[in-house]
Amino acid sequence: MSSATQPVPRSADSAGEGGGRHEFLRRTGAIVWKDLLIEVRTKQSFTAMAFFAALVLFIFSFAMGADVRLLQATGGGLVWIGIAFTGILSLSRTYQSEELAGGLEGLRILPGEQRAIYIGKLLGNLVLLLTLELFLFPIAGILFQLELWRVAAPLAGVALLGTLGFSIIGTFYAALAVHVRARELMLPLLLFPALVPVLLGAVNATTLILTGDPDGVMSSWIRLLVAFDVIFFVVCTWIFPLVLEE
Amino acid sequence: MTSSDVAVSLRGVSRRFGWFWALRDVDLEVAAGASLLLAGPNGAGKTTLLRILAGVISPSRGEGTLAGVALADNDGIRRRSALLTIGGYLYDELTALENLRFVSLMCGGDTSPTTFARILERVGLAGVADRRVGAFSSGMRKRLSLGQLLLRPVDVVLMDEPFASLDDEGRALVEEVVEDMKAAGQTVFLASHQIGESLRLIDRVAFIDRGSLVFVCAAHELAERRRSHFEGGE
Amino acid sequence: MAKTQKIMGFLALLLFIIGSVVGLFVVRADAAMGDVQRLMYVHVPAAWLAMLAFFVVFIMSVLYLVQRNPRWDLIAASSAEVGVLFTALTLALGSLWGKPTWGVWWTWEPRLTTTAVMLMIYIGYLAMRSFADDPDKRARWSAIVGVVGFIDVPIVYLSVYWWRTLHQPPSSPRSIAPEILFALLLNLLAFTVVYLYLLVRRYRLAVNEQELERIVAHQTRQISHD
Repeated sequence: MSSATQPVPRSADSAGEGGGRHEFLRRTGAIVWKDLLIEVRTKQSFTAMAFFAALVLFIFSFAMGADVRLLQATGGGLVWIGIAFTGILSLSRTYQSEELAGGLEGLRILPGEQRAIYIGKLLGNLVLLLTLELFLFPIAGILFQLELWRVAAPLAGVALLGTLGFSIIGTFYAALAVHVRARELMLPLLLFPALVPVLLGAVNATTLILTGDPDGVMSSWIRLLVAFDVIFFVVCTWIFPLVLEE
Repeated sequence: MTSSDVAVSLRGVSRRFGWFWALRDVDLEVAAGASLLLAGPNGAGKTTLLRILAGVISPSRGEGTLAGVALADNDGIRRRSALLTIGGYLYDELTALENLRFVSLMCGGDTSPTTFARILERVGLAGVADRRVGAFSSGMRKRLSLGQLLLRPVDVVLMDEPFASLDDEGRALVEEVVEDMKAAGQTVFLASHQIGESLRLIDRVAFIDRGSLVFVCAAHELAERRRSHFEGGE
Repeated sequence: MAKTQKIMGFLALLLFIIGSVVGLFVVRADAAMGDVQRLMYVHVPAAWLAMLAFFVVFIMSVLYLVQRNPRWDLIAASSAEVGVLFTALTLALGSLWGKPTWGVWWTWEPRLTTTAVMLMIYIGYLAMRSFADDPDKRARWSAIVGVVGFIDVPIVYLSVYWWRTLHQPPSSPRSIAPEILFALLLNLLAFTVVYLYLLVRRYRLAVNEQELERIVAHQTRQISHD
């Protein structure tokens, strides 16, 4: 055993033992890059999801009937339900690519801060959903006779806050559901009750933007969404390593 | 042996999954730069032991160190060891190059194109660098997983059934790689239930059966020990 | 232990009977709402105990995640089951109260709505447990759900409260007659003892179930004792 004469390779100290923020960002970026790259390469699935979302909205508007005022009053809310249903599909697919690759263990095996995995997945989901919404909102505008152009800016803000809330808790629960049998059932079961504040906040804020806000209550809903996002971002990021644990 | 000469030291390491003890009271000490074959039938606990050494799971009981780092420090262990699993972790939609790139980015390894080119060359996949892994054969996938293993220099290399899915050329490649690692002073653990091919490569053999470390011996003593252990047969 | 349980059970039953008698017959009916108001003596304590039960789930889940002692997990699971019982009771009574009082089987009243969401969260908790065979994983995953779910409850309440009251001024609380308050507190005490009794019984059962699982696993594979 000639351990003395040959230079023994020491593990990558140059990368930094827990190289801090730099490594964290790099890992997060790697996950986002990988997920989006896979998504782009499987173009068909994005198109399928967009089509599914449009279909959901179509069915809703169909069910609402022809009364324009009813459509306009409920449209803001229904678009969020469409987003939620499509979002669940998107969430389970994010982890599907991991499973096909050999499981979440593949990510766990690589040294470095594991929370970066959560944040990376979260950002990937967020980008995906926001892109879908770029299609969804105009379609909702057509189906529900909503005038979105005038209020595009505040609408975008609410869409961001709401989608962020959905992604934060959704990415977390989806990771948990990966381990369990009957995960197509578990994910909605866990997710929907937890989403109530987000849905209420987003639906109400959107409706207020579209139909006017005489009592000036908009700020309460925004505060609710922000509070939800912040609280659960902290909690989920903190607990995430326990979800990955074997 | 001083502590710096010991690559792996395990004391009473046990691991259970639910009600089932996959490993029980494993005591093992392996010197730095040594090479060890983990032999034993399927389901004996070889993979579990490798996973503990890789920092992927923690022992339910017992303690140990790897390259001076306690087993409890999962991340520290992961930095100092690398695991080649049976299935590998490859993304079908990504190319060979991108799969390497991903691992490098995640682990803080070198991301220069020359490094990737060199590694792909080493494992015989230079021609398919830009092809999607989905189209690869199982042998090619194994080679790429081997390439991922080579991405960062670690103290302890862990290989689970490295010869599986490989043709003669592939097996020769694995042997070369292991010889390189030994020459570089890395500690190598090979788990295999095909003992014949591995014997040339390693110094010692640890035989595991039903979760227990039955015996450890030098490679050349194996035939004798097995005979005495199994009383004249496999 | 069995004797303590018997005493507790007896006490629970006794208090429950006393509380019910006081609530149903002894105290006067509320002037405004009539006899229906008597449902409050069951509905309100049930709601409180539902909250308490889930708070226990939360604490035990946190304890388990920190210490990994299976006992905490079993207590959490037992409390969740009892909690679901009380939650369902709360919702049923709330609905029964609503019909004669406001004319509807269901209203989106903040507390009632939050209770319904809470029920869904904890059914999710129990479903999570039923889909996991490995006791360690089961404990860990349901503990995570128990923690995150509980944190969600106050936020849900706030969001529904705002939803229902932002356009209407909140109803001012009427002052409660002392004897009604007494009956309420008495029933609250009774229900708390009932909860504790059910919790202890369910926990004992859970311990036995776990032991049975271990024995069955022992039969199926070769294993050494802990």
